[in-house]
Amino acid sequence: MIHIEGVAKRFGGNTVLDGVDLRIAPGEVVSILGASGSGKSTLIRCINGLEKLDGGTISVDGHRVDDPKQLQLARRCCGTVFQLFNLYPHMTALQNITLAPIEVLRVPRRQAEDEARELLASVGLLERADAYPAQLSGGQRQRVGICRALAMKPRYLLLDEVTSALDPEMTAEVLSILAKLAANGTTMLFVTHEIEFARQISNRIVFLERGRLLADLPAAQFFAEDGGLAQPRIAQFLSKMSKS
Amino acid sequence: MQYTSFTPHDLVLLLQGLGISVALFAATTAIGLAIGLAWAMLRYYRTPLLSPLAALLAELLKNSPVLVQLFLVFFGLPVLLETELTPVQAALITLSGNTAAFIYVIAVSAIESVGRDQLEAARVFGLSRWQILRRIVAPQAAAFALGPLTGLLVNQLQVTSLISVIGVVDLTKAGAILNLRTLKPFIVWTVIGLLYYLMARLIAKACARVETRLRAHSEWKGL
Repeated sequence: MIHIEGVAKRFGGNTVLDGVDLRIAPGEVVSILGASGSGKSTLIRCINGLEKLDGGTISVDGHRVDDPKQLQLARRCCGTVFQLFNLYPHMTALQNITLAPIEVLRVPRRQAEDEARELLASVGLLERADAYPAQLSGGQRQRVGICRALAMKPRYLLLDEVTSALDPEMTAEVLSILAKLAANGTTMLFVTHEIEFARQISNRIVFLERGRLLADLPAAQFFAEDGGLAQPRIAQFLSKMSKS
Repeated sequence: MQYTSFTPHDLVLLLQGLGISVALFAATTAIGLAIGLAWAMLRYYRTPLLSPLAALLAELLKNSPVLVQLFLVFFGLPVLLETELTPVQAALITLSGNTAAFIYVIAVSAIESVGRDQLEAARVFGLSRWQILRRIVAPQAAAFALGPLTGLLVNQLQVTSLISVIGVVDLTKAGAILNLRTLKPFIVWTVIGLLYYLMARLIAKACARVETRLRAHSEWKGL
């Protein structure tokens, strides 16, 4: 269970998160929607400990992210996939995936490589195992990014706008993999602008606006006239997104 | 045979000078590399007190003439510490310190050139600061550093010629001795210059080879 309680984050005088409460239970797929600058990515960066909290607490399976002693344990539970992939450019796809299992989990190299090859095969990239990131397309890089996160066998997968840097075709490649993961019961916290996809795979949808949660509803209800759409701001956001 | 003509022994003198220059260059580069990298580590680990101290020391060393530093060490240090220093010791201390200062600057900027987003990825996956340094920062920073490092090493090779003024018989001093005896400055200094040139080319070539290896992952082959 990821517990987020009263989380606040400020950058200078700019309040990015303002008392966010959220719980993600194992097996759930939760999508976070909201305009750019609403704090979605910052929330992800708070959960994996890349940003210090200015208020509130976050715990992942009981490990407090805001306690430096427990942060590493909390991080073991979460895998993160980044918007701009953040692959290590001097390592091959395979090395990108095996680095953390070998260094952090102390998995023997052979075993880590076998597991990485299995992951690459599951996303259709087995033959690109020895390619460097610069030799891969954007969609391929993001698929490697997903494999890298999964190689740590995380209980929770944090996805930060993972298709925002990709064209529609590459987006479809990546989304089909995420749909498979969701169907297999992977717990995901999914920051996205792909509203239709979020509707299909999510159990719950959360709407962030200026650092506050405007809605936290089951997916079907979020899109219902008497649910999320009853809120003018959400109705406005969804209508603009569907036009574009 | 006139005393001004060249003798086989002159070649021995020249080779001895060359050997001293190369040995001093190699030794001061190794020591300077170790000290400069250690200073850069103090900064990477944000060590309080020691990190700003290293920065200040590097700043002082790289912004004053090496010749002045050499005089300070050779003439000043023995007075201060009431010891004696041989010219070779003074040259070793001065050139090592000077190289360390520039290595520090190159290492720091190379470390900072490694993309922050990858470091965040590594942190999120639980790698320690040391693991990040060893597996992610160092290999890429080394590739970034090799260009400036080549320039520095070629320059430091030439700077070794300054030690001739405190009486170390390096290549330049050997040239001066030959020049005084033979009175053929054009021939002597041309040969000396060519020898420095050949050594500099060797250094640059070796560095370029290493750089190609370190950049194997990038498609970029230069303009």
